[in-house]
Amino acid sequence: MAATYGYTGKILRVNLTTGKISTDDTLKYKDFIGGEGMAMKIMWDEVAPGVTPYAPENKIVFGTGPLCGTGVPCSGRTNITSLLPSSPFHGVSSSHMGGYFATELKYSGWDMIVVEGKAANPVWLRIEDDKVKIEDARWMWGKGIFDTQAMVASFMGKEAQVAAIGQAGENLVNLSVIRTGSSHSAGGHGGVMGSKNLKAIGVKGTGSVKIAGDRKAWAELDKLMMSVIGANNQMVVPSSPQPWAEFNDKSSRWTGRKGLYWGAANPPVETGECDPHDMQSVGLRTMKAVFDFGPQAEKYTVRMGGCSHCPIRCHSQLKVPQLSKYGMDEYVSNTCMGWFSPRGVMFKGIKAFDGNSEADAAVVGPAIGAKLADDYGVWCNYGQIGRDLQYAYETGLLKKVLPADEYASIPWEKLEKGDATFLIDFYERVAFKKGEFSHIADGTYWLAERWKFGDDFWNGKVYKVWSRQGFPVHHSNEAGGQVGALISCFSNRDAQNHSHMNFIGSKLPIALQKEIAGEIFGSPDALDAPSDYKPMNEYKARFVKWSLGRSMLHNSLTVCNWMWPMSVSPLKERKYRGDTGLEAKFYSLATGIQLSEKELDEAAARCFTLFRAITQRQMGQKDLRVAHDQTTEWVTHAEKGKDGKEIPQFTKGTIAMEEKDMELGRTLVYREFGWDEKTGAPTRACLEKYGMADVAQDLASRGLLPV
Amino acid sequence: MSDQHAKNRNSASSHAAEAPAPAAGLVAAIRGASAEIRLTRLTALRSDFPEAAAREGGVELLLEESGAADLRRMAGEGGEAYYFSADSMTEAYALHLFRIEEKDPVRLVADTVRDDSRIYPRPTDVRVFADPPFSLPAREVAEVVARMEMRPDTADIKSGRASNGALYLYSDRFLEAAHAESLIEWIEVGQKENP
Repeated sequence: MAATYGYTGKILRVNLTTGKISTDDTLKYKDFIGGEGMAMKIMWDEVAPGVTPYAPENKIVFGTGPLCGTGVPCSGRTNITSLLPSSPFHGVSSSHMGGYFATELKYSGWDMIVVEGKAANPVWLRIEDDKVKIEDARWMWGKGIFDTQAMVASFMGKEAQVAAIGQAGENLVNLSVIRTGSSHSAGGHGGVMGSKNLKAIGVKGTGSVKIAGDRKAWAELDKLMMSVIGANNQMVVPSSPQPWAEFNDKSSRWTGRKGLYWGAANPPVETGECDPHDMQSVGLRTMKAVFDFGPQAEKYTVRMGGCSHCPIRCHSQLKVPQLSKYGMDEYVSNTCMGWFSPRGVMFKGIKAFDGNSEADAAVVGPAIGAKLADDYGVWCNYGQIGRDLQYAYETGLLKKVLPADEYASIPWEKLEKGDATFLIDFYERVAFKKGEFSHIADGTYWLAERWKFGDDFWNGKVYKVWSRQGFPVHHSNEAGGQVGALISCFSNRDAQNHSHMNFIGSKLPIALQKEIAGEIFGSPDALDAPSDYKPMNEYKARFVKWSLGRSMLHNSLTVCNWMWPMSVSPLKERKYRGDTGLEAKFYSLATGIQLSEKELDEAAARCFTLFRAITQRQMGQKDLRVAHDQTTEWVTHAEKGKDGKEIPQFTKGTIAMEEKDMELGRTLVYREFGWDEKTGAPTRACLEKYGMADVAQDLASRGLLPV
Repeated sequence: MSDQHAKNRNSASSHAAEAPAPAAGLVAAIRGASAEIRLTRLTALRSDFPEAAAREGGVELLLEESGAADLRRMAGEGGEAYYFSADSMTEAYALHLFRIEEKDPVRLVADTVRDDSRIYPRPTDVRVFADPPFSLPAREVAEVVARMEMRPDTADIKSGRASNGALYLYSDRFLEAAHAESLIEWIEVGQKENP
């Protein structure tokens, strides 16, 4: 085989029904970049419409990209693509996890793993370089993820990286995860692994990833990268005034400062000021524990962890001795929603409990929840599970739908009192599908159908449901006006898109951000100040297309969309400008395939258009504008101010969008992609431009192609 | 001295040219204090360098003519002036130190809030004043907020609370009430629910 660069050149295919293990050529898919893009191509080619997520005919694709394993900062991501059980039409979607699994997979010589079929008995997949075996997992079945990882490591050694499901995935809970490391979860597809009787994948590699380009050029590019990288979510100003900084923002994730410690380290480690010129302190910038919990988390923090090849350590690794009281290991790790979703389940608040002061309970409570969710492998639908519970509980619906004895067996008094041990009962019922209550984890759409949630649920801003598909708001209008709102419209699950937020949320002053927006999107009007939104325009549509494309690009390369793209920099001497061409520069040097920024964005648009085509084929709908791209009502209804009066849209102080303006927005985004402006469906011309005449032909044969 | 802003503390050598002999001690003193993240008062320089102070034009003229491009001067209302080296701290940070040195907590809070409302624009969480570099005791912060409501020179400073009770301040010269209230709720509550 000819030498390949960036890519390993091999895709591992495993059929669990037949036990056949085979190799495919990565580069035949190279127009789809890697990771998510290639997975979309495989899903289009190989999974017919009408297949359901838990059917053996469904496939699950674990993908890395050409930058993974090269050392490009923030490139330790695994993209997982399959049909989504919680989606009403089982829409194709991707989930993602960090950690070290992806890099290890590359080092073992594989770009991707495509799993199909269903094993007769529980199995796990053992990958040691080119030796691949399907192993018996009957003795692992029924175990949590932590034990499963230890069991796999007992065979393969502690260097092995393991992706596994817990009891939730085994029991085909729709809201379940696949997890690697101690806290890196890909939400949504755990049940798909479970349906295939695939408990875990262990991988160990002794190889490396070859880079095509000149070493010096690579080192220079690394230097450039390190001059633009900020803190978690590419926030480029510190959270407190610091001598080196011109700007600051209390809500920045750049929390490192003098006098702030990883307090449970031995000896404690001071984060210090983290001047952005000091590359050795990049990993200290994001002291996420105090960002997620407040100052009380300092004493629990052992260190910040994260993913391979990532200088931004965004996972808080805590020592919480109180956990041992509940039979749990006192070490616990997570970030963002991993902590917030247990808090969301405790929607009455977490108060002092079991001898913990209110301040300590604010750490101990979410730590209990994170530990359970991570071991059972329960997903939260980006925090929506808590709001679903809140609605069902507060409206009295739960009392109606649950058998009386089941309702009485749930420790509601703990929920009411803010005692977080409620979570122990909650997650057990969910993971083991105990009783009617466990349907809370069917996913919002299926749950709402089953328990007959009213329009007040769908349309009430308080429950944050974005789409009738049952996924919630995720960096939408509340954070990015039409740009965020429209990004969420094109998803089959919560948008998981941070391309826009890693710019909008940089914490730089709005005037400066608008200047930069002008340079990237053609006009400062591409960006509005928060809660000061102006009507839709073509520049915002460009921003939307760019954000959707970049997210697809990052999940294909694979680099972290929670950091990339690098639109801004923390350095004043760079005028706070980042470099949006870095992906293309790294891609070209790594692979030897020369692509400009524009060409790589076009490749991403090809992948996104294919994702759109799969969605259309699955839905069997001609008009995606109507059938897919709409929001729930609260998004476009005027909000009321404190005085009870409606605040008109596009005046200061409201995040509400306006229906006609959103429709214009959809039209403009369709235009940017070259899709049909009326229906939002990909056109023949667009598909052919991207080399996908076969896709056009297929859609035409089903009567789905716009005339 | 120059208006050119220093790039950063680590590139100090590019700006810290040797000053002529009579000013060298003064410049070194200012740079030394700045390296320790302190401002240098003019009165302290006059006291520490009496010969320089006695020259025609005094310390100020010597520094003007020193050629030290990294030095900056800020004048307080009471006649005091402060010097710092922009190789060691940004002007924005020096401004915080200047306001602290001026020992008028009401003015400190009001001017910081105005800057936030004007530059970003955003309301200001009052808790930031309990943290470095301000480090005002929580009780004093509460007193300052109460006093601002009575001082005519801070009439533009308004307060608002998020739904979780957190108190924020903003200047209505730069932020409208409805806008400020929306931002307070977003910063304090919404952003945390949508991480």
